[in-house]
Amino acid sequence: MSNFSVAFRDSGMTTILTIRGELDAHTAPELESAIKMCRNEGKTHLIVNGHELEYISSAGLGVFMAFIEEIRSLNGDIKICELKPKIFDVFDLLGFPKIYHIVETEEEAISLFEQGIQPI
Amino acid sequence: MTIASLILLVFQIQGGFIDINVPATPIVYIKSALLNMLFATMGFVIFELFSRLGRYRRTRRSERDWRLLLLCIAITYIAISPYHHHFNTDAPPFAQSLIILLGLGALGSIIFIILNSIRLAWIIRLSFRRKMISIGLGVILICLTTSALLLVFRPDVTQAFITDSSYPIDYLQFYSLPLFSTFVLMMTYGFLYSVTSVLSLIFHLPTMGDYRRSADEMAAIQGLSVLVREVADSKKLYHWIVSTPVDAGPGKVAWLTMNDFKSGSLHPRIVASYKIEVSVAKESCDIVTIHQEATSSQQLISIDNTATDYRTKNSKSQKIMSLLAIPLVTTTEAIGTLFVAQEIPQAFENDDIESIGLFTSQASLVLENARLLDAKIEQERLASELSIAREVQQRLLPQEIPTLPNLTIAASSTPALEVGGDYYDWLDLGNGKMAFIIADVSGKGTSAAFYMAEMQGIFQGLTRIAPQPDAFMYHANQALGASLEKNVFVTAIYGILDYHSGHISFARAGHTPAIIIDVNGNAKLLRSSGLGFGLDRSKLFIDTLDVVHIRFSPGDLIVLYTDGAIEGRNSQGEEFGYDRLIDSIQSARFENAKGVHDAICQAIDRFMNPEKNYDDCTLLIVKWRGNVTQIPT
Repeated sequence: MSNFSVAFRDSGMTTILTIRGELDAHTAPELESAIKMCRNEGKTHLIVNGHELEYISSAGLGVFMAFIEEIRSLNGDIKICELKPKIFDVFDLLGFPKIYHIVETEEEAISLFEQGIQPI
Repeated sequence: MTIASLILLVFQIQGGFIDINVPATPIVYIKSALLNMLFATMGFVIFELFSRLGRYRRTRRSERDWRLLLLCIAITYIAISPYHHHFNTDAPPFAQSLIILLGLGALGSIIFIILNSIRLAWIIRLSFRRKMISIGLGVILICLTTSALLLVFRPDVTQAFITDSSYPIDYLQFYSLPLFSTFVLMMTYGFLYSVTSVLSLIFHLPTMGDYRRSADEMAAIQGLSVLVREVADSKKLYHWIVSTPVDAGPGKVAWLTMNDFKSGSLHPRIVASYKIEVSVAKESCDIVTIHQEATSSQQLISIDNTATDYRTKNSKSQKIMSLLAIPLVTTTEAIGTLFVAQEIPQAFENDDIESIGLFTSQASLVLENARLLDAKIEQERLASELSIAREVQQRLLPQEIPTLPNLTIAASSTPALEVGGDYYDWLDLGNGKMAFIIADVSGKGTSAAFYMAEMQGIFQGLTRIAPQPDAFMYHANQALGASLEKNVFVTAIYGILDYHSGHISFARAGHTPAIIIDVNGNAKLLRSSGLGFGLDRSKLFIDTLDVVHIRFSPGDLIVLYTDGAIEGRNSQGEEFGYDRLIDSIQSARFENAKGVHDAICQAIDRFMNPEKNYDDCTLLIVKWRGNVTQIPT
């Protein structure tokens, strides 16, 4: 049933979470616990790579909202990259690009971290 | 059997009398016949009676033994028959074979008489009074059979009863030798069976208490099943479960632990105790370990001496020396453990353990039934609560469509579950203007329904104070931002329509874009900038919010919808999507708002897999007919 997975990868100071499949109310807790785990390990420079994300529901979007304040208060950020156009559209409709860095490539996201640029 | 014996008697009379030391006078014939009748009848009656008792609770083996006994008696009968006519004379023909046959028959009869005499299952179930009666009857039968056998084996003792010079045995033999042999074997069986029965009855008298106790246990189990029909109160059931092994069983104290799912911990909770305080029971042993061991293995734990067992060594209680822990296992899982304790070591015998085990398995079933019943009641209660909630929520939506000049309105909202997070509404502001809103709370179900209700309050209250789209949106975001959970957001389109001029101004807060279609079928998605409510609690929200102003031309229509209208999937997993939505609007664009609404609903229904209603679905359609009185400028 659950065709969602999260893979971790460290790249220098940043941690890349590659998410696959459908992020909905059932699978959102998986991403939630993944982000929690990073936070508990002190990893606050997070990049969510969504190039294999097929679907996202409002509950999936909620995961990003749940942690962003806390991660930013720890001088970190959650940046999102490599979304498929259809998925980006869902983020865009809600206004996410005004609050989050949503970029084309992982490298771009990493360099935003390196330059210390915050979206707001 | 009785008929068979009569036939035998008649048959044997024809056999004629043998020549022994009895004078063949008529009186001897009569005496002999009467004596034989009497003895044979007695033999057959006793035999018949004991055959029933001996074969009580018959098994394949008992039946086999019984038939073999009958066969051996028959063999003896047949083998001895020829001797009847050769009693005092020469040997009959085939004498050697007959002797062997006779020996086999007699030996077999003795063996199977013994085997059949130790079948005494009927005794166990008798009440005390019946046992006493049976002992009395048994003694009488022993006397009868003993005297009968004495006639045979000690003729000298019985001679005195018969006045002439001969022995009763002579009369019997004289009458029929085969019948005599059968009679002897039957009497032997009768005698042996009477003796074993009486002895067994006497030995069973002191165990009456035990039997009565197990009868009590049976009654208790039966009582339990009656109880469950009457009460669904789990406290009463728990009490019954702990009191029964003590009142009707071998326990001195008892308590019951149940998995405590409500607290979320794996630690069991003592839900009932009997003749022991809960606090004392807690101290008496390592309840958590024993409970977990019993429930995970689903096996009974018996501790013979609590002083030496690692799980009970630290016990402070002197009351508990033997302990049984029996898991309560339902069809799916072990839900609890019944502890039964005694104040002496090694107090529980195997049959105690067995009976408590039996009781516990019954109790588990009863408990499970009670739980299922509880769950059912709870489910029904929730269902009725939810249906009330649904009604209340439907009342938060507009109850009637206003009749306004120049335009028609149609709207509907269908939650995926009983209640949902979609909202639409309108309010006539009185100066020829109407405010309208469509909103969608993220998620569905009860929590979404609460935020939907909040949204309704905000719309109904705020619109009168700050009707302008930017002001309304700003204040709504402030109000919702304070109460929304971090991971919940609300999207909305709010606008004001001047129903005289057809001027409309509105703003979008993260909502699916409004669709405007003109009379020629040209579609426009109005996707102005604006964050969803709850995404940002700072100035960014109002800084990024655009307000759109447009003017309707006659025949224009605006369709507002929630994402349920485009995200419905068909059986191939395809989404309904914007294109199909727009198509359905275009094809119905000459209809009034109601017609357009129905066309959209039909298109969605046709497309979607009816079993999977994924999301709340709401539509709000306004069709501008055009102001016929308006003077073109």
